[in-house]
Amino acid sequence: MQRREFFKTSIVASAAILGTNLSAGQTHQPKDGQKMSKMAFPEKRPMITYSDRPPLLESPRSVFAKGITANDEFFVRWHLPDIPTKIDLESFRIKIDGLVDQELNISLKELKNDFEQVEVTAVLQCGGNSRSAFTPIAGGIQWGSGAMGCAKWKGVRLSDLLNRAGLKKDAEWIGFNGLEKAAYYETPNFVRELELTELDDHVIVAYEMNGEDLPYLNGFPLRLVLPGYYSDSWVKMLSNITVTNKYKSLFFMDTAYRVPDNETESETPDHKFKKTKPITFMNVKSIIGYPENGMKLYHNAHIVIRGVAFDDGHGIRQVMISTDEGKTWDEALLKQENGRYAFTEFRFTYKPTKYGKVSIMAKAINRLGKEQPLSKDILWNHGGYKYNGIDVVEVEVV
Amino acid sequence: MKKILLLSLLAFSSLFAQVAQDVEVPYISYEIKMGKGFDAVQANCLMCHSFGYIINQGPQSKEFWAKKTDKMITHFKAPMTKKDINTVVEYLFEHYGNGKQK
Repeated sequence: MQRREFFKTSIVASAAILGTNLSAGQTHQPKDGQKMSKMAFPEKRPMITYSDRPPLLESPRSVFAKGITANDEFFVRWHLPDIPTKIDLESFRIKIDGLVDQELNISLKELKNDFEQVEVTAVLQCGGNSRSAFTPIAGGIQWGSGAMGCAKWKGVRLSDLLNRAGLKKDAEWIGFNGLEKAAYYETPNFVRELELTELDDHVIVAYEMNGEDLPYLNGFPLRLVLPGYYSDSWVKMLSNITVTNKYKSLFFMDTAYRVPDNETESETPDHKFKKTKPITFMNVKSIIGYPENGMKLYHNAHIVIRGVAFDDGHGIRQVMISTDEGKTWDEALLKQENGRYAFTEFRFTYKPTKYGKVSIMAKAINRLGKEQPLSKDILWNHGGYKYNGIDVVEVEVV
Repeated sequence: MKKILLLSLLAFSSLFAQVAQDVEVPYISYEIKMGKGFDAVQANCLMCHSFGYIINQGPQSKEFWAKKTDKMITHFKAPMTKKDINTVVEYLFEHYGNGKQK
């Protein structure tokens, strides 16, 4: 090839590559194997730590070999810098006010004694979990896959609290506010609003997580539990529930945690989609907890691939495993004993018969037939929300 | 008897574990790059969040950092002077930029 010709072709080629990059955005496996912090936070083991104020802690991949995430390894995400470091349970009250017949101020003791105690096992996942999968880099913390966990939550039904207070006829919206505070008085609080019609009996105000008091960093003493929803609505250190008849415009509702309001919830970096909607319900996703990226497996060894799968509560129908780059898929065994909002555990016995690098892939399919796409087929959005690509772990057979 | 003692001990510890004393959240020192404009970053950004919040956004365009800074002012009400806004955006782009304007 003549030099000039080569030059021309390479320009065309690079333009084509750049063109796709810029106009579409690309998606790949999220980052993995981040270092754990040397410093442990209260009631936590050392975790992947992105920030100390506000605290942002991610769970390592190994946690997802089990269906319940331990409290001391459960991810942490706060929005505002000033989190109370002491809560006096004698004086702590959760206030229910607004369009109610009777304003209530309920102590933790009353909550535990005067209302029916209920439990739900549910996945808590940040809407930006796996954000590091997006290129160009989407704005926000570059989480790997560990901004999620599954716990058994115990508390009282939100509907029981609202019934006790008595809703006025025109009640339509419920605002939830926690005790975290900003550095400046003018900064908006992290308030969430939900429409009354969105709330069913699975929504609880929880004081226990996996049989213990909520850890301080997971919202002690009370947090909202909204099975099926992304965690931005699970308000921590919940102190006030306000009933209104109209939607109040709030930063954390109107601007943050939103995706393009179109069928594919996607856009291009150059042409952002104007209309947006809240991220609300989780899509179907799975993560391999064992083995992990970079591990060495012995040839002909008996390996059990383990991991978890979940969606927004429709339930997982199948988890498929591939060890040949997606050419063939085999069904994993499922363990589903904690209800439809919980992690489904999957297991797959695998005997590596070829030496060298092997990619292990996991794909979950829910009861609606929705399945995880390959990561490269996930379309870009500016906030890097709702990534749910097929998980790939690369190991070496020796 | 032993069993009862153990049970009551457990009950005691779970009741008082988290409220008996203040919780202490550790401070982590993030390796932030030094350079022109760092003083303005320290004075303004650190009021509300750690440097970890900056570093862990990944390398970004100048427009991204300008928009982030604007978000801090418009939505989070950070009281920044015009001069500081420019200084902070320049600093962020120089040290945590991806080389692209947009």
